[in-house]
Amino acid sequence: MMRAVRIGPVCAPLRPRPLAASLGLSLCLAALGLAALAWGGYPLSAGETWQAATGRGDAVAAMIVLEHRLPRILTAIGAGAALGLAGAMVQTMLRNPLAAPDIIGFVAGANAGALLAALTTGGMIVGGALAGGALTACAVVALAWRGGLDAHRLILVGVGANLTLGATADLLLSFADERTAADMARWLTGTLHARSPEDAALAWAGLALLSPAALWLGFPLGRMALSDDLAAGLGLRLARLRLAVAALAVALVALAVSVAGPLPFVAFVSGPIARRLTRCAGPALAAAALTGATVTLGADLAARMVPTFRLPAGVFAAMAGAPVLVWLLWIEARRRRL
Amino acid sequence: MSQRSMNRLRAEEISVGYPGRTVLDAMSLDIPDGKVTAIVGPNACGKSTLLRALARLIPTQGGRVLLDGRPIEKQRSRQVARRLAILPQSPAAPEGLTVLDLVRRGRTPHQSVLRQWSRADAEAVERALSLAGLEGLSSRMLDTLSGGQRQRAWIAMALAQDPELLLLDEPTTYLDLPRQIELLALIRQLNRDAGLTVAMVLHDVNLAARFADHIVALKDGKVRRQGPPAEVVTAETMQEVFSLPCTVIRDPVHGRPHVIPA
Ligand SMILES: Nc1ncnc2c1ncn2[C@@H]1O[C@H](COP(=O)(O)OP(=O)(O)OP(=O)(O)O)[C@@H](O)[C@H]1O
Ligand SMILES: [Mg+2]
Repeated sequence: MMRAVRIGPVCAPLRPRPLAASLGLSLCLAALGLAALAWGGYPLSAGETWQAATGRGDAVAAMIVLEHRLPRILTAIGAGAALGLAGAMVQTMLRNPLAAPDIIGFVAGANAGALLAALTTGGMIVGGALAGGALTACAVVALAWRGGLDAHRLILVGVGANLTLGATADLLLSFADERTAADMARWLTGTLHARSPEDAALAWAGLALLSPAALWLGFPLGRMALSDDLAAGLGLRLARLRLAVAALAVALVALAVSVAGPLPFVAFVSGPIARRLTRCAGPALAAAALTGATVTLGADLAARMVPTFRLPAGVFAAMAGAPVLVWLLWIEARRRRL
Repeated sequence: MSQRSMNRLRAEEISVGYPGRTVLDAMSLDIPDGKVTAIVGPNACGKSTLLRALARLIPTQGGRVLLDGRPIEKQRSRQVARRLAILPQSPAAPEGLTVLDLVRRGRTPHQSVLRQWSRADAEAVERALSLAGLEGLSSRMLDTLSGGQRQRAWIAMALAQDPELLLLDEPTTYLDLPRQIELLALIRQLNRDAGLTVAMVLHDVNLAARFADHIVALKDGKVRRQGPPAEVVTAETMQEVFSLPCTVIRDPVHGRPHVIPA
């Protein structure tokens, strides 16, 4: 009746549909990645790109591919995957697709924190993003708390926090001198322009550190999606799990913001898209991470294709994400849950 | 009472409520082992609250719930869930879940992150689906089922959990009369064959009298009467608990008490 896969001590049910969706997304991501390596102001053929990437091409091509394009692509994938994971986790936990970290203020909080840290200390960006995200999460939960946590109230409070923190970030930026402000462009809407190998390394190291915890939480999250009473009846310790999910989401968001700024809507759209692709009622975390990476890389590629304006990737992420938001709002309103 | 003769699930002087409202005040109750217990009482008298407290879904403000002689909230939640399953009054599931997905989730306390599926899980799920009469519906989306079919899916989920004690909050809601009888007969059969201890909230006192071994009548958060159907289902109790004037006769087929409202 159901096949299972066994890898060492791990035994999990084999589900063809999510597997196929993840494979498809991976192929899509790989294709985008290759296109992003070859395409640009200094166009390279597929052969030249390959030679440059393997260190056999001419020096200019190698520098462009290895020091500019590759870090940018790897940062986009890392940040996008982190946002996709965080989004799907929080949406599943709160059983509402609108309860995404970028809608309820976590991203804006991490952004304000990172900005403040950069302005005051000139560094400590990851720490600032973590602190900002965690403080925002605590504040939103505390303000929405009324003998318990209602997802709708949390979303309303979160949207308020989001707007307030966005304005705060603008205000903070206005205190920076002109050169610093230009450096901080990434904290306006999220951009992947001029990412260094260090950014890429940070994104991937953070992801490597955090994703095992996310995969571990995927199992209880699939049960938390039912209802509090059912999940507790099945033996889950909800208070502990919620804390773990929230902490992990804040960390993932802080990581993404540290390397790419507040990319809007990526966390929000990844979960619903992944769930529709996998036809899976659970959190579909792997597919959500791949979706986040694909959306981010796609948005950045689109941003690079409009050379005259130097638009940040966040603008394109917003262009893709805003219609999804409207669509989900419409579905929610039709169900009269809003 | 010695440890041996104590019932596996009992409430000792529990006080339970919601912010600003106490529903149960120092209530003590035993769920008799190996029996089918029906909990009856008017709307809002605290039946669901009692069941949720017995299943550690709502904390007690005073007193304690004992499972196998030890306070339930001191035991590992997963270990509790292997012995005790609860089906709440209005369970909810996310959209896009199939019947099979739902019933599989009943296996959660027997699984872990590393071992998410085993042969025992497959067997238990298959058995639960067939007991609930859902074999033909297992790949259907839950939100495309009729209310009664969905109710049976929830029951299958609780059965897949393979518990020794089963708490059900109004399991017969949405079911037509033949299905109600079928479900209650199934529950009694599981009780007789496998020794499953059952406590369920029922609204139909006549069905409770017919299928339960033990009836607990609640009113305003207090146990007014408890005992075998013949002792609890009387005109007097109906008047006291439900304020229902009625005649109680002996049902000529099963010999159980039968309420005929005036
Ligand atoms: N989540 C809650 N928050 C606040 N009060 C609640 C909550 N759930 C129940 N109550 C209140 O507690 C009291 C007992 O409710 P409970 O659900 O236990 O009744 P019940 O006997 O199961 O009723 P019914 O037959 O209608 O299901 C009621 O007055 C109800 O309004
Ligand atoms: Mg009730």
